[in-house]
Amino acid sequence: MSKDYTRRDVLEVAARGTVLVGLGGVSTLLAVKAHGNDAWYIDITKCVNSRLGAVGVETCLSCATECVLPLSAVRAVNEFEKCGRCYICPAYFDIHSAVDADGLPSKKLCPRDAIERKPIGWIDPDDPANNFYEYIIDENLCNGCGLCVMGCKEPAGLGSITLEVRHDTCLACNRCSISIACPDEAYELRPTA
Amino acid sequence: MQYHRFGEIDRAAMGSAAFKETLRAVSWHDDGHWYLGGDRHILVLSADGEPIRDWSTGKPPWSLAVDSEGRVWVGEPGQVEVFSPEGKPEDTWRNDELFGLVTAMAVTADSVFVADAGTRWIHRFDRERQLLNHIGDQHRKGGFHIPNGVVDFGIDLDGTVVVANPGMHRVERYQPGGESLGYFGRFGQHDPAGFPGCCNPTNIALGPGGEVVVSEKAGPRVKVYAPDGALRSVVSGEEDFDPSCKNMDLAVDHQGRIGVVDPVGLALVFYEPTGVAT
Repeated sequence: MSKDYTRRDVLEVAARGTVLVGLGGVSTLLAVKAHGNDAWYIDITKCVNSRLGAVGVETCLSCATECVLPLSAVRAVNEFEKCGRCYICPAYFDIHSAVDADGLPSKKLCPRDAIERKPIGWIDPDDPANNFYEYIIDENLCNGCGLCVMGCKEPAGLGSITLEVRHDTCLACNRCSISIACPDEAYELRPTA
Repeated sequence: MQYHRFGEIDRAAMGSAAFKETLRAVSWHDDGHWYLGGDRHILVLSADGEPIRDWSTGKPPWSLAVDSEGRVWVGEPGQVEVFSPEGKPEDTWRNDELFGLVTAMAVTADSVFVADAGTRWIHRFDRERQLLNHIGDQHRKGGFHIPNGVVDFGIDLDGTVVVANPGMHRVERYQPGGESLGYFGRFGQHDPAGFPGCCNPTNIALGPGGEVVVSEKAGPRVKVYAPDGALRSVVSGEEDFDPSCKNMDLAVDHQGRIGVVDPVGLALVFYEPTGVAT
């Protein structure tokens, strides 16, 4: 036997549904952003890729591989004032690859080709080493793998490249999967700057 | 030519004058003594490595030279201090424009050469402080390319100035007046004759026969080249130094023995030639 629904019944059901959906959304949002104004940061003095003294160790790729986003919220950032603007940058080139006809390493280090090497000013074609070079990281390509960070670290480089969390893309998950995977506990939740 | 490590003056051997935080500079003088500069003092060692005397400097020493009269010239941030052979202060050269950080020095009969990491040039003065010329200012890079923050050089018996230009993976030669005499060197990560990484060699010294002795960083090692630039020997490998070592200053005595600063261990490490490589 079917029940005859009044207009009042329909409105009540709709109202309950709306409240439930609203509560569900709010609880989900609370679960994701449980820390209010806190955000995830990388302590570069702890991260093995940038920590001084951690020489001859494997690069940690967790920032690239563990983020729940398709492209990690972590990016490599080059601090230009600290950069040596080298002719042969160990963060740009795979310095262990064979030397090519121009006397440069034949392979690049970045697996996503996210670093652009630009000469500063006019290049002497007879002596290209006699020039400074700028290294620009394409944020749309970088996935924060950290290979360039390790390559640039002292003493091989000057440590001008470090990893940073992009807060405009980071979901600020309560239990961040990178922080769980980070072997150095370098991924920290802090009040937003 | 082969070399072997035959000794080390460590902190214990330096006694009360041991360096506690920094050891940056070494020089050898034909009085047979080794001169070390670090922290905020100079330490003089006998040929056997026994501490002879030490004295304080006005600022932290970054480089050392001993002139023919035995006076000790100390390169520091913003100035050069001159001490008597006994360590008494005799003079201070200050030059706000040209002495940013004095990372190498040499004193000849008529000239004082001051390498400055600020301008990235070597400044040549006469003994009365008159500026004669610069070396390295003709580079399109504006000076020597020193990502490591140190300009280092030596002067051979002919008076040629031999400079490490690490950002270009070269050893360059100049007349005292600044005219280029050419260079040798190239990038090479696996070929020991090449200079690896972003910026090597970091430091340089000249042997009694004009040999060019260099140190490298990442990984730290010492090599000797013939005056024409041919590799003669890899003196030390990475096993001899902490992998974090960089800017390892060098000096060579009259017998070709090499003293290398270990800036992490705060020690002076010695190598001596043992014969011709087979």
